[in-house]
Amino acid sequence: MLRSSVALSILVSFLPLAALFFLGMEALGTDWGALLTDETWRDSLFTTLYVVSVSTIVSLVLGTWVARTVVNQRWRFTSTILKIPMFVPHIAAAYLFWLLFSGSNGFWGIESNERDYVTVILTYIWKETPFVFLMMIGTYEQLNRGYVETAKTLQLSPYAQFKHAEFPFLIKPLLDSTWILIAFISFAYEVPALLGVTYPKLIGVLAYERLSTGLYLEATEPYAVALIWTCFVGFGVFVSYVMTASVRRRIERGVRR
Amino acid sequence: MIRQGFILLIALFPFVSLFLVAPSMEIGNVEYIVHTVGLTIILSGINVWLATTFAWWLLWTESRWKSVIEWLVFLPLFIPMLATLFGLYLILAEVGLIGTYIGVILALLVVTIPYSIRLAYNGMAVIGRPLLEQARLLPMSRRVVYVLYPLFSRMMRTIALFTTVILLSQFALIQLIGAGLIPTVTTELYQSYAGNNRSLALSNTWMLILFPVVIYFLLSGWNRWMVRMLKGRLQ
Repeated sequence: MLRSSVALSILVSFLPLAALFFLGMEALGTDWGALLTDETWRDSLFTTLYVVSVSTIVSLVLGTWVARTVVNQRWRFTSTILKIPMFVPHIAAAYLFWLLFSGSNGFWGIESNERDYVTVILTYIWKETPFVFLMMIGTYEQLNRGYVETAKTLQLSPYAQFKHAEFPFLIKPLLDSTWILIAFISFAYEVPALLGVTYPKLIGVLAYERLSTGLYLEATEPYAVALIWTCFVGFGVFVSYVMTASVRRRIERGVRR
Repeated sequence: MIRQGFILLIALFPFVSLFLVAPSMEIGNVEYIVHTVGLTIILSGINVWLATTFAWWLLWTESRWKSVIEWLVFLPLFIPMLATLFGLYLILAEVGLIGTYIGVILALLVVTIPYSIRLAYNGMAVIGRPLLEQARLLPMSRRVVYVLYPLFSRMMRTIALFTTVILLSQFALIQLIGAGLIPTVTTELYQSYAGNNRSLALSNTWMLILFPVVIYFLLSGWNRWMVRMLKGRLQ
């Protein structure tokens, strides 16, 4: 029974890779030249890169800072409350932000469905900061305070203390969180479809709409875009993990000792 | 104190929107609620079972393929969900599962299982092999009932909760793989939003938020009752 469950889990986990193979096969007939010069896709790509960068960087910084503060100050109640947004489905979060910033409710000059995608970014920050917080808090709770005390004794600046006594231990969870967030935010439909605009759309929305609209049913472009984007993320994951492999190994060995 | 108040305010402020418009109380067709509840129960059950057994295996295996399989299982976390969905759409279309309940469950399982396995593996790794060693001598059913379930009931609850939230977040997946034939609260919310029916969209949003809350409390109560009953049996 255990073996059949394990085999089934492996089989299900193998499906995304099989899905990529099918994507590749379907994307074969794509006119790559036309795709790369298509203005609609290009504008979508730039907007997506902007939304992903801002959302990911702000979520990572906020999540790490909050985890650090909660552990240092021992805020148990705050820690519990902070997890709440994580259990709100993305589409419901998007609708909450849509209501908050739509029509007469819009404040600070921010409105839903505008070209700068501010509400999309805010929704992702609200949803993903608790995720980063959860990924980082475990590391912060296990962090050997001796390193920080040593850094303080050496009278290092607060930045240098963080850089030498904390950051090396955060590399692994930060890398994991970064790529999970990039993969998740960059090629999604629900949130940008609800809070975005008709032009430029984020590539996930554009690809999904081109795939599901009768007008484009025969088009291979959405498959090609999905494949290119997956390769881009995959390449980033590979390079970043290889580049940090020796540091991570050293830290893991040190921690185990 | 000010910092703490500010963080709490940011975390809770968006919920103000729930009270800006009066939600619609009309529930005509309950089919989409039935579908959502059905999918939640089936998917959570499968996820808990597969993730727990796989994490248990991963904890003990001496196989030289361990690290490869570990990578294979966690790799989908780094593949954009919509890209996986497009590929799955092609695969499921080949085998005729588009527009079926099985197709939707399979697609949802593919996107939820990496998170569940990660949660289960982390939960077991925290307790560690030495403490769980004796449980390996027990037969499978007794091991699950008397050791794994009481020890990992919280972890199982978290897996069920995460699965529910991911499931409730999916519009594109359910619409594409279900071919529009399997309505859920999420698809209803999107349609009421597109139809500019604010109060109906808000009542669906309430449902989407309350679903995980209800599941959390139900599972917490169930876990507490079960663990107390199992302890009673052992005495």
